[in-house]
Amino acid sequence: MFNRAKVAHMIPAPTPSNEAERLAALYVLLLLDTPPEERFDKIVAFAAEEFDVPIALISLLDTDRQWFKAAIGLGDTCETGRDISFCGHAIMRAEIMLVEDAQLDPRFADNPLVTGPPHIRFYAGAPLILSNGYALGTLCIIDTRPRQLDPIALAILSTLRSLVVQELEASHA
Amino acid sequence: MPELKQMLLVEPENILRRTAALTARSMGLAQVQEASSTAVARQILAERPFHGALISIDAGDAFDLTLLDLVRQGHSASRPRIPLAVLASRCDDTLLAALRERSVNRIVLKPFRARALLDALAALSGS
Repeated sequence: MFNRAKVAHMIPAPTPSNEAERLAALYVLLLLDTPPEERFDKIVAFAAEEFDVPIALISLLDTDRQWFKAAIGLGDTCETGRDISFCGHAIMRAEIMLVEDAQLDPRFADNPLVTGPPHIRFYAGAPLILSNGYALGTLCIIDTRPRQLDPIALAILSTLRSLVVQELEASHA
Repeated sequence: MPELKQMLLVEPENILRRTAALTARSMGLAQVQEASSTAVARQILAERPFHGALISIDAGDAFDLTLLDLVRQGHSASRPRIPLAVLASRCDDTLLAALRERSVNRIVLKPFRARALLDALAALSGS
Protein backbone atom coordinates (compact mmCIF):
# COMPACT_ATOMS: atom_id res chain seq x y z
CA MET A 1 0.00 0.00 0.00
CA PHE A 2 2.81 2.44 0.83
CA ASN A 3 5.42 3.42 -1.76
CA ARG A 4 8.78 4.07 -0.13
CA ALA A 5 10.68 4.86 -3.33
CA LYS A 6 10.75 8.67 -3.13
CA VAL A 7 12.41 9.74 0.12
CA ALA A 8 14.99 12.17 -1.23
CA HIS A 9 13.93 15.50 0.33
CA MET A 10 11.67 14.74 3.22
CA ILE A 11 13.03 14.97 6.75
CA PRO A 12 13.09 11.47 8.28
CA ALA A 13 11.58 11.09 11.73
CA PRO A 14 14.25 11.97 14.31
CA THR A 15 15.31 9.76 17.20
CA PRO A 16 14.74 11.00 20.78
CA SER A 17 17.79 11.26 23.02
CA ASN A 18 16.22 8.81 25.46
CA GLU A 19 15.46 6.23 22.76
CA ALA A 20 16.77 3.16 24.58
CA GLU A 21 14.77 3.91 27.72
CA ARG A 22 11.74 4.87 25.63
CA LEU A 23 11.82 1.56 23.81
CA ALA A 24 12.22 -0.30 27.10
CA ALA A 25 9.13 1.48 28.44
CA LEU A 26 7.25 0.48 25.28
CA TYR A 27 8.32 -3.16 25.32
CA VAL A 28 7.41 -3.67 28.97
CA LEU A 29 3.77 -2.97 28.10
CA LEU A 30 3.72 -6.11 25.92
CA LEU A 31 1.45 -4.41 23.38
CA LEU A 32 3.42 -4.59 20.13
CA ASP A 33 2.03 -7.09 17.62
CA THR A 34 -0.89 -8.00 19.86
CA PRO A 35 -4.45 -8.42 18.52
CA PRO A 36 -6.87 -5.50 18.40
CA GLU A 37 -8.52 -4.55 21.69
CA GLU A 38 -11.93 -2.98 22.02
CA ARG A 39 -10.74 -0.44 24.61
CA PHE A 40 -8.40 1.11 22.03
CA ASP A 41 -10.57 0.49 18.97
CA LYS A 42 -13.43 2.42 20.58
CA ILE A 43 -11.25 5.47 21.14
CA VAL A 44 -10.02 5.69 17.53
CA ALA A 45 -13.56 5.09 16.26
CA PHE A 46 -14.78 7.90 18.50
CA ALA A 47 -11.97 10.20 17.29
CA ALA A 48 -12.73 9.50 13.61
CA GLU A 49 -16.39 10.36 14.15
CA GLU A 50 -15.80 13.33 16.44
CA PHE A 51 -13.41 15.00 14.01
CA ASP A 52 -15.02 13.66 10.84
CA VAL A 53 -11.74 12.28 9.50
CA PRO A 54 -11.21 9.15 7.38
CA ILE A 55 -8.18 7.95 9.38
CA ALA A 56 -7.53 7.74 13.13
CA LEU A 57 -4.71 5.76 14.70
CA ILE A 58 -3.03 4.74 17.90
CA SER A 59 0.54 4.43 16.67
CA LEU A 60 3.36 2.96 18.75
CA LEU A 61 6.92 3.71 17.66
CA ASP A 62 9.19 0.69 17.61
CA THR A 63 12.88 0.73 16.60
CA ASP A 64 12.33 1.09 12.87
CA ARG A 65 8.57 1.03 12.39
CA GLN A 66 5.35 2.56 13.62
CA TRP A 67 2.86 -0.13 14.52
CA PHE A 68 -0.84 0.57 14.89
CA LYS A 69 -2.49 -0.77 18.01
CA ALA A 70 -5.77 0.58 16.69
CA ALA A 71 -6.61 1.98 13.30
CA ILE A 72 -9.57 3.33 11.37
CA GLY A 73 -9.28 3.90 7.64
CA LEU A 74 -6.06 2.06 6.74
CA GLY A 75 -7.48 -1.27 5.67
CA ASP A 76 -5.12 -4.13 6.43
CA THR A 77 -2.07 -1.94 6.98
CA CYS A 78 -0.77 -2.40 10.51
CA GLU A 79 2.63 -0.68 10.28
CA THR A 80 4.86 1.61 8.20
CA GLY A 81 8.52 2.52 8.35
CA ARG A 82 9.41 4.85 11.21
CA ASP A 83 11.52 7.05 8.93
CA ILE A 84 8.48 8.14 6.95
CA SER A 85 6.13 8.34 9.93
CA PHE A 86 4.56 11.63 10.99
CA CYS A 87 4.25 10.22 14.50
CA GLY A 88 8.02 9.89 14.75
CA HIS A 89 8.15 13.68 14.52
CA ALA A 90 5.22 14.16 16.88
CA ILE A 91 6.81 12.32 19.82
CA MET A 92 9.67 14.82 19.92
CA ARG A 93 7.44 17.35 21.73
CA ALA A 94 4.79 17.14 24.41
CA GLU A 95 2.32 19.32 22.50
CA ILE A 96 0.00 18.12 19.77
CA MET A 97 1.75 18.29 16.39
CA LEU A 98 -0.40 19.92 13.74
CA VAL A 99 0.28 19.69 10.02
CA GLU A 100 -2.53 21.60 8.36
CA ASP A 101 -1.36 20.85 4.81
CA ALA A 102 1.43 18.35 4.38
CA GLN A 103 1.97 19.42 0.77
CA LEU A 104 3.06 22.83 2.06
CA ASP A 105 5.28 21.48 4.84
CA PRO A 106 8.89 20.86 3.77
CA ARG A 107 9.22 18.06 6.32
CA PHE A 108 6.49 16.07 4.61
CA ALA A 109 5.78 17.44 1.11
CA ASP A 110 7.50 14.56 -0.68
CA ASN A 111 6.89 11.95 2.00
CA PRO A 112 5.56 8.82 0.29
CA LEU A 113 2.57 8.84 2.65
CA VAL A 114 1.73 12.26 1.18
CA THR A 115 2.61 11.67 -2.48
CA GLY A 116 1.05 8.19 -2.44
CA PRO A 117 -1.57 6.29 -0.44
CA PRO A 118 -3.05 7.21 1.96
CA HIS A 119 -2.38 10.71 0.53
CA ILE A 120 -2.07 12.50 3.86
CA ARG A 121 -2.76 16.25 3.74
CA PHE A 122 -3.82 16.96 7.33
CA TYR A 123 -2.27 15.41 10.42
CA ALA A 124 -2.80 16.06 14.13
CA GLY A 125 -0.85 13.82 16.50
CA ALA A 126 -1.09 13.88 20.29
CA PRO A 127 1.97 12.24 21.85
CA LEU A 128 1.20 9.37 24.22
CA ILE A 129 3.42 10.31 27.14
CA LEU A 130 3.34 7.97 30.11
CA SER A 131 3.67 9.22 33.67
CA ASN A 132 7.33 8.10 33.53
CA GLY A 133 7.87 10.73 30.83
CA TYR A 134 8.42 8.46 27.83
CA ALA A 135 6.52 9.19 24.61
CA LEU A 136 5.57 5.83 23.17
CA GLY A 137 3.60 6.95 20.13
CA THR A 138 0.61 9.06 19.27
CA LEU A 139 -3.12 9.22 19.00
CA CYS A 140 -3.49 10.87 15.62
CA ILE A 141 -6.17 11.95 13.20
CA ILE A 142 -5.51 12.23 9.48
CA ASP A 143 -7.39 13.66 6.55
CA THR A 144 -6.80 13.67 2.80
CA ARG A 145 -7.66 17.36 2.58
CA PRO A 146 -6.15 20.35 4.39
CA ARG A 147 -7.76 21.07 7.76
CA GLN A 148 -7.43 23.29 10.80
CA LEU A 149 -8.24 22.53 14.43
CA ASP A 150 -9.64 25.18 16.75
CA PRO A 151 -8.84 25.28 20.49
CA ILE A 152 -11.91 23.19 21.39
CA ALA A 153 -10.92 20.46 18.94
CA LEU A 154 -7.37 20.50 20.28
CA ALA A 155 -8.70 20.16 23.83
CA ILE A 156 -10.90 17.22 22.81
CA LEU A 157 -7.99 15.49 21.08
CA SER A 158 -5.85 16.07 24.16
CA THR A 159 -8.52 14.49 26.36
CA LEU A 160 -8.77 11.46 24.07
CA ARG A 161 -5.00 11.15 24.27
CA SER A 162 -5.32 11.08 28.09
CA LEU A 163 -7.83 8.24 27.81
CA VAL A 164 -5.39 6.25 25.65
CA VAL A 165 -2.55 6.87 28.10
CA GLN A 166 -4.76 5.67 30.96
CA GLU A 167 -5.42 2.46 29.06
CA LEU A 168 -1.74 2.01 28.20
CA GLU A 169 -0.77 2.41 31.84
CA ALA A 170 -3.56 0.05 32.88
CA SER A 171 -1.90 -2.55 30.63
CA HIS A 172 1.08 -2.53 32.96
CA ALA A 173 -0.77 -2.08 36.27
CA MET B 1 -10.37 33.02 38.96
CA PRO B 2 -14.12 32.51 39.47
CA GLU B 3 -15.22 29.15 40.78
CA LEU B 4 -16.45 26.82 38.06
CA LYS B 5 -20.13 25.96 38.00
CA GLN B 6 -21.02 22.46 39.06
CA MET B 7 -22.68 20.45 36.30
CA LEU B 8 -24.04 16.93 36.18
CA LEU B 9 -23.61 14.90 32.99
CA VAL B 10 -25.72 11.75 32.70
CA GLU B 11 -24.63 9.68 29.70
CA PRO B 12 -24.15 5.91 29.45
CA GLU B 13 -21.56 5.96 26.66
CA ASN B 14 -18.24 5.95 28.45
CA ILE B 15 -15.89 7.65 25.98
CA LEU B 16 -18.35 10.39 25.09
CA ARG B 17 -19.12 11.12 28.75
CA ARG B 18 -15.51 11.09 29.89
CA THR B 19 -14.30 13.16 26.95
CA ALA B 20 -16.92 15.85 27.47
CA ALA B 21 -16.43 15.96 31.24
CA LEU B 22 -12.63 16.03 31.19
CA THR B 23 -12.47 18.56 28.35
CA ALA B 24 -14.96 20.85 30.09
CA ARG B 25 -12.73 20.80 33.15
CA SER B 26 -9.51 21.34 31.19
CA MET B 27 -11.03 24.29 29.31
CA GLY B 28 -12.45 25.83 32.47
CA LEU B 29 -16.04 25.60 31.20
CA ALA B 30 -17.46 23.79 34.20
CA GLN B 31 -16.75 21.24 36.88
CA VAL B 32 -18.56 18.18 35.60
CA GLN B 33 -19.72 15.27 37.73
CA GLU B 34 -20.29 12.15 35.64
CA ALA B 35 -23.07 9.61 35.98
CA SER B 36 -23.32 6.58 33.71
CA SER B 37 -26.94 5.74 34.51
CA THR B 38 -30.18 7.12 35.87
CA ALA B 39 -29.69 5.15 39.07
CA VAL B 40 -26.25 6.63 39.70
CA ALA B 41 -27.49 10.11 38.79
CA ARG B 42 -30.44 9.81 41.16
CA GLN B 43 -28.05 9.11 44.04
CA ILE B 44 -25.71 11.97 43.10
CA LEU B 45 -28.60 14.41 42.70
CA ALA B 46 -29.82 13.53 46.17
CA GLU B 47 -26.42 14.12 47.72
CA ARG B 48 -25.21 17.42 46.26
CA PRO B 49 -26.50 20.49 44.46
CA PHE B 50 -25.72 21.39 40.85
CA HIS B 51 -25.97 24.58 38.83
CA GLY B 52 -27.25 22.62 35.84
CA ALA B 53 -27.48 19.18 34.27
CA LEU B 54 -27.12 17.55 30.86
CA ILE B 55 -29.10 14.33 30.85
CA SER B 56 -29.40 11.50 28.34
CA ILE B 57 -33.07 10.53 28.21
CA ASP B 58 -32.87 7.62 25.73
CA ALA B 59 -34.29 4.41 27.18
CA GLY B 60 -34.48 1.89 24.38
CA ASP B 61 -37.28 3.00 22.06
CA ALA B 62 -38.74 5.26 24.74
CA PHE B 63 -37.55 8.23 26.80
CA ASP B 64 -36.89 8.39 30.51
CA LEU B 65 -37.84 11.76 31.96
CA THR B 66 -37.49 10.61 35.58
CA LEU B 67 -34.48 12.75 36.39
CA LEU B 68 -36.04 15.86 34.84
CA ASP B 69 -39.12 15.38 37.00
CA LEU B 70 -37.05 14.66 40.07
CA VAL B 71 -35.23 17.98 39.73
CA ARG B 72 -38.21 20.07 38.68
CA GLN B 73 -40.37 18.70 41.49
CA GLY B 74 -37.74 19.65 44.06
CA HIS B 75 -36.76 16.12 44.99
CA SER B 76 -33.02 16.74 44.60
CA ALA B 77 -30.39 18.76 46.43
CA SER B 78 -30.43 21.31 43.58
CA ARG B 79 -32.77 24.25 43.10
CA PRO B 80 -35.82 23.08 41.12
CA ARG B 81 -35.29 25.71 38.42
CA ILE B 82 -31.67 24.90 37.50
CA PRO B 83 -31.08 24.86 33.72
CA LEU B 84 -31.48 21.43 32.18
CA ALA B 85 -30.44 20.09 28.78
CA VAL B 86 -31.16 16.67 27.33
CA LEU B 87 -29.49 14.23 24.95
CA ALA B 88 -31.97 12.39 22.76
CA SER B 89 -31.70 10.12 19.74
CA ARG B 90 -34.71 11.85 18.16
CA CYS B 91 -37.37 14.38 19.01
CA ASP B 92 -41.00 14.41 17.89
CA ASP B 93 -43.82 16.77 18.82
CA THR B 94 -44.84 14.67 21.81
CA LEU B 95 -41.37 14.69 23.29
CA LEU B 96 -40.91 18.35 22.51
CA ALA B 97 -44.12 19.18 24.41
CA ALA B 98 -42.98 17.08 27.37
CA LEU B 99 -39.61 18.82 27.43
CA ARG B 100 -41.22 22.26 27.17
CA GLU B 101 -43.52 21.37 30.04
CA ARG B 102 -40.40 20.66 32.10
CA SER B 103 -38.70 23.88 30.99
CA VAL B 104 -35.77 22.11 29.35
CA ASN B 105 -33.33 24.71 28.05
CA ARG B 106 -31.65 22.76 25.28
CA ILE B 107 -31.93 19.53 23.28
CA VAL B 108 -28.87 17.80 21.83
CA LEU B 109 -29.78 15.29 19.12
CA LYS B 110 -27.76 12.40 17.66
CA PRO B 111 -25.11 12.06 16.40
CA PHE B 112 -23.66 12.94 19.79
CA ARG B 113 -20.29 14.58 19.58
CA ALA B 114 -18.17 15.79 22.48
CA ARG B 115 -18.17 19.27 20.96
CA ALA B 116 -21.98 19.42 21.07
CA LEU B 117 -21.97 18.36 24.70
CA LEU B 118 -19.36 21.02 25.49
CA ASP B 119 -21.52 23.64 23.77
CA ALA B 120 -24.47 22.55 25.88
CA LEU B 121 -22.43 22.56 29.09
CA ALA B 122 -21.13 26.04 28.27
CA ALA B 123 -24.67 27.25 27.64
CA LEU B 124 -25.89 25.73 30.91
CA SER B 125 -22.99 27.33 32.78
CA GLY B 126 -23.89 30.71 31.37
CA SER B 127 -27.59 30.42 32.13
